[in-house]
Amino acid sequence: MAKKQTIVGENLTPTLLKELGAVDKFPQTPASFQPDGNWTNNYRIWTCHGYRESGNQTVGSLQITRNVDSAKTFVLKVRQEISQTDGLTNVVHGTIKCRINKLASPVEWKLSSLFLGTDQREISELSSNEDGQIAEGADRVTGDWCLFEAVQRLAFEKQASLDFDLLEGMSLSKHRHHLSYRGTYPMKTNGGGIPLHCFSQLGRGILPAEYWLDDHHRLLAVISMNKAYILDK
Amino acid sequence: MNIDTTERLSDHLVSRREFVKLGSGAVAMLADGTLTKRAFAGRKDRKPKPGNILLIYTDQQHIDTIAAGGCRHVRTPALDRLKTNGVSFTQSYSANPVCSPARSAVFTGRTSCETSVYKNGIPIRSDIPNIGQWFSQHTDYETFYAGKWHLPRTYTSNIPGFEVVNTGIGGFGYLCDTAMSRACKGFIKNRSKSKPFLLVASFMQPHDICEWLRLNMNNPGKLRYPELAGELPGLPDNFQFDKNEPQSTKKRRLGNEPFKGNWDEEHWRYYRWSYYRHIEHLDAEIGRILSALEDRGYIRDTLIVLTSDHGEGMGHHQMVRKSSFYDEAARVPLLFSWPGHIVENKTDAIHLASGLDMVPTLCDYAGIKSPASMRGASLRTILEGDDSERRDYIVSEGNTNTGRMLRTQNFKYIKYVDDPVEQLFDMTNDPGETKNLAADSHHVSALAAHRKLLASHESRLDVPRDVPHTEFWRARG
Repeated sequence: MAKKQTIVGENLTPTLLKELGAVDKFPQTPASFQPDGNWTNNYRIWTCHGYRESGNQTVGSLQITRNVDSAKTFVLKVRQEISQTDGLTNVVHGTIKCRINKLASPVEWKLSSLFLGTDQREISELSSNEDGQIAEGADRVTGDWCLFEAVQRLAFEKQASLDFDLLEGMSLSKHRHHLSYRGTYPMKTNGGGIPLHCFSQLGRGILPAEYWLDDHHRLLAVISMNKAYILDK
Repeated sequence: MNIDTTERLSDHLVSRREFVKLGSGAVAMLADGTLTKRAFAGRKDRKPKPGNILLIYTDQQHIDTIAAGGCRHVRTPALDRLKTNGVSFTQSYSANPVCSPARSAVFTGRTSCETSVYKNGIPIRSDIPNIGQWFSQHTDYETFYAGKWHLPRTYTSNIPGFEVVNTGIGGFGYLCDTAMSRACKGFIKNRSKSKPFLLVASFMQPHDICEWLRLNMNNPGKLRYPELAGELPGLPDNFQFDKNEPQSTKKRRLGNEPFKGNWDEEHWRYYRWSYYRHIEHLDAEIGRILSALEDRGYIRDTLIVLTSDHGEGMGHHQMVRKSSFYDEAARVPLLFSWPGHIVENKTDAIHLASGLDMVPTLCDYAGIKSPASMRGASLRTILEGDDSERRDYIVSEGNTNTGRMLRTQNFKYIKYVDDPVEQLFDMTNDPGETKNLAADSHHVSALAAHRKLLASHESRLDVPRDVPHTEFWRARG
């Protein structure tokens, strides 16, 4: 008998993530959490095939750690793992020094991409490293991982918006991006609704991305088309 | 880093190269092309061989998605670069506008029904070699594969004739392609220059439009991002068209999301806008690989080829996705570049080309004979500037072997099994395929001539008997 496959039919939102079983409830933000302080956020990378019953799965993880290192800069440590078929894993990790400005503009960075085989050993022939720096004054550029930090420091108001060029994965340049506050929407739960704040990002080379935050300005989820970064423990 | 990559790759990559024993003495044999003699003359002339070959294979790429080709709705610096550095064909057709069948034809040079891959999820029949197996046995090129395979497994570490650089992950092009291009970059960066390589970089994008369709099926009644209103592309010119169509075409249209979800014009246009963003994502990942070739010093000695398995409806004929024989699904990008050897910045709107031409062309450049019974032809003479010869027609198969499309210089003929409605389009005066002339009294002779060409073509194929509808097509021959 053919499997039942109900088309989702609408854009993914936190409410829909819950309906689809991708999240039950988001972790509670500790009282000590300060967006401009030192913190670590761990996300699951979850993907959706567009059906309710099948094909939806967690395929990786992203960890971002913020540490203030000077009065003008902070450092993001990033580690992203994406599972490939037949037991391979792509790991991207590195550090990005950012300016303390609205965009978290990168100053300099070092990143490595490596692949792990089924035995978890590195396949060194596929590894590559990247580093780069951006001169002071080029403040209209930011990275996708930098936005995970920057959006937590934005005010929840319609005037809060950013215009920038995106350096995706700190390596691919994508122009004319705009991030703006869309408002507050409830995430429907069994007991009612939790208000979440939403920013949206539009620009070349990406599908629209929505950043969902709680009242404490902690980033709970980033959703772009069929992909969602979901805050984990 | 200084490593003996040749040896170590074998130790560490996920698949050992698999060799197959193939019959010796195979000769290139063109069933229907008129390019035969000239196309293969190059072998005797000892024409130069590229140091490396990179085949970039995209998934579901509409042909009009390259800024340098005139598409106003995208920014595609990498595709632009490939286009301006070489020859791009505008009359290039998928051999079967469905994933696995198209791939079987591109990688073997045989029609999809001959390979047995008449639908998705079927392996290539074992006595037909793929390009990796053929190159492994007959050239000194080392053969590598990264990304989507789909013959039959979509992603796998076991592809006959190739060492798999990276498998990718199913269904999620955005994540899959990023990892795949990173793997290709690492491969190119670390590889020793001791041996030439054939690398297939097989992208998933812009196939994620299928997920987009399922996540945007229901017409929301208003634009989710109102600020986009001013930049949505318009509807295509052939959004309205002649409804005298075969039943399977009508059925496919009505079964897709726009009709299930009751789309309005704005939602159609938002779909088109979204598809272009998938293209830009693809372009950036292609750019990563081109940059790696350049950084490593390979770019000038690498033959780079780009094509796609099939196109995307994009609202033409109110279609989405693939499978139809209308140009939006059947026609695909086909770009070749090799600095100093292939004509630069040339748009070829004259020659009909097919996915079936890939194997003969790559074999020609590698200086070897093609496997037996090729159904396409080498495009090398055209790529090097000789416009003098034109083939009479190309054929695409489709719809689980129930359909055929035959394209001549001026017309397109479409026929389905057990459907009385045939289609005939005047591609010179009606390139949007809006008026079906099959029942037009002025085109009786053209229709008859195209039926005859198709019959002649079918009579030469070697199709396993267990492929459905083989007898129907054979009887027409």
